[in-house]
Amino acid sequence: MKFNKTIIAMLLAVYIGVPLAFGSDNYLMSLLVASLVIGGVALSWALLGNLGGMVSFGHAAFFGVGAYASAILSMKFGVPVLISILLGGVGAVVASLAMFPVLRLRGPYFALAILAYAHIFRILATQWTSVTGGAGGVSNIPRLPELFGYDLSSKTGGYLVILTIVVAFAAIYQYIRRSHYGLALRAMHESEDATRVIGVNSTLLKGLMLLVSAFMCGVVGAFNAHYINFLEPDYAFSGLWVTIPIVAAIFGGYRTITGPIVGAVVVYLIDQLIFKNIIPSGHQLVLGVLLVSMIIFSPDGLMPLLRKLTRRTHVAT
Amino acid sequence: MLQLKNISVRFGGLTALNNVTLSVGTHDVMGLVGPNGAGKTTLFNAISGLVRPTSGQITFDGVDVIRAPMYKRARIGIGRTFQVPQPMHELTVLQNLTVAQRFGTGKVDQKKIDEILEFTSLTDKAERNAASELALTELKALEVAKALATNPKLLLLDEVFAGLETTGKRHFMTMLKDLHEKFSVGIIIIEHDIETISNLCQRVAVLNFGELIAEGTPDEVFRDPVVIKSYTGGANA
Amino acid sequence: MTELILQALYSGVLQGGSYALIALGLALVFGAMKVINLAHGELVLLSAYIAYSVEAGLGWNPILAIPISLVVVCLTSAMVYYLVGRIKKDREINSLILTYGIGVILTNMILLIWKADVRTTGSTWMQEAMVVGPFYSMRSEVLFFAVSLVMMVGLWWWLSRSWYGRAVRAVSSNRDAAKLMGIDPGYTELVSFVVAGILAAVAGVALYSYGVVSPAYGSVLTVKAFIITVLAGIGSIPGVLIGALLLGVAEALTVTLASSALQELVGMGLFLLVLFVMPNGLFGAKGRRG
Repeated sequence: MKFNKTIIAMLLAVYIGVPLAFGSDNYLMSLLVASLVIGGVALSWALLGNLGGMVSFGHAAFFGVGAYASAILSMKFGVPVLISILLGGVGAVVASLAMFPVLRLRGPYFALAILAYAHIFRILATQWTSVTGGAGGVSNIPRLPELFGYDLSSKTGGYLVILTIVVAFAAIYQYIRRSHYGLALRAMHESEDATRVIGVNSTLLKGLMLLVSAFMCGVVGAFNAHYINFLEPDYAFSGLWVTIPIVAAIFGGYRTITGPIVGAVVVYLIDQLIFKNIIPSGHQLVLGVLLVSMIIFSPDGLMPLLRKLTRRTHVAT
Repeated sequence: MLQLKNISVRFGGLTALNNVTLSVGTHDVMGLVGPNGAGKTTLFNAISGLVRPTSGQITFDGVDVIRAPMYKRARIGIGRTFQVPQPMHELTVLQNLTVAQRFGTGKVDQKKIDEILEFTSLTDKAERNAASELALTELKALEVAKALATNPKLLLLDEVFAGLETTGKRHFMTMLKDLHEKFSVGIIIIEHDIETISNLCQRVAVLNFGELIAEGTPDEVFRDPVVIKSYTGGANA
Repeated sequence: MTELILQALYSGVLQGGSYALIALGLALVFGAMKVINLAHGELVLLSAYIAYSVEAGLGWNPILAIPISLVVVCLTSAMVYYLVGRIKKDREINSLILTYGIGVILTNMILLIWKADVRTTGSTWMQEAMVVGPFYSMRSEVLFFAVSLVMMVGLWWWLSRSWYGRAVRAVSSNRDAAKLMGIDPGYTELVSFVVAGILAAVAGVALYSYGVVSPAYGSVLTVKAFIITVLAGIGSIPGVLIGALLLGVAEALTVTLASSALQELVGMGLFLLVLFVMPNGLFGAKGRRG
């Protein structure tokens, strides 16, 4: 793992610089936390798309299952919060195992099959009242604990936790991408048979990517549950957890690792700070427009496009 | 080492292979010939696992492999090249070999990879991108190199000479002559050119309309009137 | 008990008629362009809301909304086609995301214009009870079921007899070869979108006339249409009709025998069941495996 100066500088900036500069502005910090939650989902979505070669419209399923699993484990079984968050990820993995049969489907069918799963989980959460509290939801979910005297349930504390989660996942993503598995996965996109004939168990690899993506998304969902301390089915499995991460990932450049995260922060902040004030109800319209324009003009993302343009102007001067 | 017993492959109404029985030993270099559409590639597909036979048995090293998926067969030692090269795109030549070795044998042996690169004359092309920067001869060499990297006991070569011009053909001939010795691997080679086959193989099997119509030394087989008839016409050979 | 079940079957079948129209629109576009229009449900919804405006704003019977719906929805559908055509690479996946984005735009536009309230027709003419044998239904249900059947027959006739049927089969199997034969693939594809729009427009008015609509319902409709096409298998109109009837009946039975909250679950469950057990659908040809 190469640690170059840029990465260290960036890490210092986000871990220390941001809390110092904005820590007292609760509203801004909470926006940052929310955007990082979306960034985490966007990252897991992009991972599945890039490494696994599968586009999904149902990541809300993993998000919601992770959230509920963690909430239930910590509330009904007294599991410490930080551990239950990880177990929430495991819960999402179990949910994804149920999706294995649809792995063999082609692109659009897989994407929509996953969407069907998301709907199913949402309905289950609404109906299985004894376990999930039904449509009314679950409240008073345990907050993030104190760690070494530092209160993680504060806005800055939550920020640091989700930041760590996202950074860790980005590192894992990078590790997989650079490994032999990553190479094999890239080759699989063109032709699975070309990889099978040299001994790659392509179906298993694809499945593993689904598990990894589910785990990441589940952990993020679990974190969110303990951060806002409240859950209800329509929120946890909301289509917004599908739409916004996809917009974020494509905006930031879904082929890169940092793209989805940066895209999430930018898109979410702009949406909340600007558009929500202009069009209070239905401001997701902008997201739709953004998505449509990006697919047509720059499917690889807006940020890469900007980068290309700025590079050209540098050369021109 | 490889035993095929009564292999039949049927696609709907079409019978691609009909009751083919064949054995290939560890020291064999066997040629597989027959007119176009005779079922040669289908036979390779059946052996390597791309296609599941409708009936019959396939034993490799004493183990029944008919239900084994393609990747398993590669790992137990059945290597295969495609007529139209299927390299792993977006990866370099070196990466192609490394991945093949990593997944085909379970570990990476850099020395072996260097050996294979040298053998297939790809050493100075190692950093080239497989999909976009190789000529046809090099792509075909990569096909063979990739298969070798999985440490096969049996190598299925599907028309490696197709589309090559004279220099390429000569290069490959030399390479294939040494292949069997250098890597102690049994070979089945599909080829159309009778001279090439006679040069390389000690045994030849002839397919026509999915059936095995002759088997023996190149001399025997190519003088067999049944075989000659299948090549020159007569739809009911 | 049996009466309840039979009534549920009857209602389900009537409902299935509109479902079939919606699913056919989706299938038509997919058949011509291999593109799944995720905004299709929103087209139907748009039509339903136009019917609402016609009724609430002008005081007319919702049926008169059909001409207006046709124009608006077909134009919108043509625009979707135009946008899809602008995708340069990876058409299969990018069109999914694109139409998904268009669906988000349409849903939010509907939300902005018509607000979030749930709507249904206030027309007594539409809601008047009709009794056929021992079965009860609203006039609108029977009326639009009849309309759907007529439209389906018309569609079937048109697909088998007209130039379009041949053209779409040619274009979907080999676009370039079709061009060589003098077929304009772009035009054929545009026609698919417009015809899908026609079907969606009628289905939307039907939906408003006997059911309930809300802005979020668009994506639910798309999913239901997709489920039906999966049930039916590729390339089969009778299959779509049967699939639609099956879904309608299954939903009606669930509402009657279990609870209305599980209604959606039934569709999803059927969908997954078919995917696992019969990947080619009930009637279809191959094409779903990767």
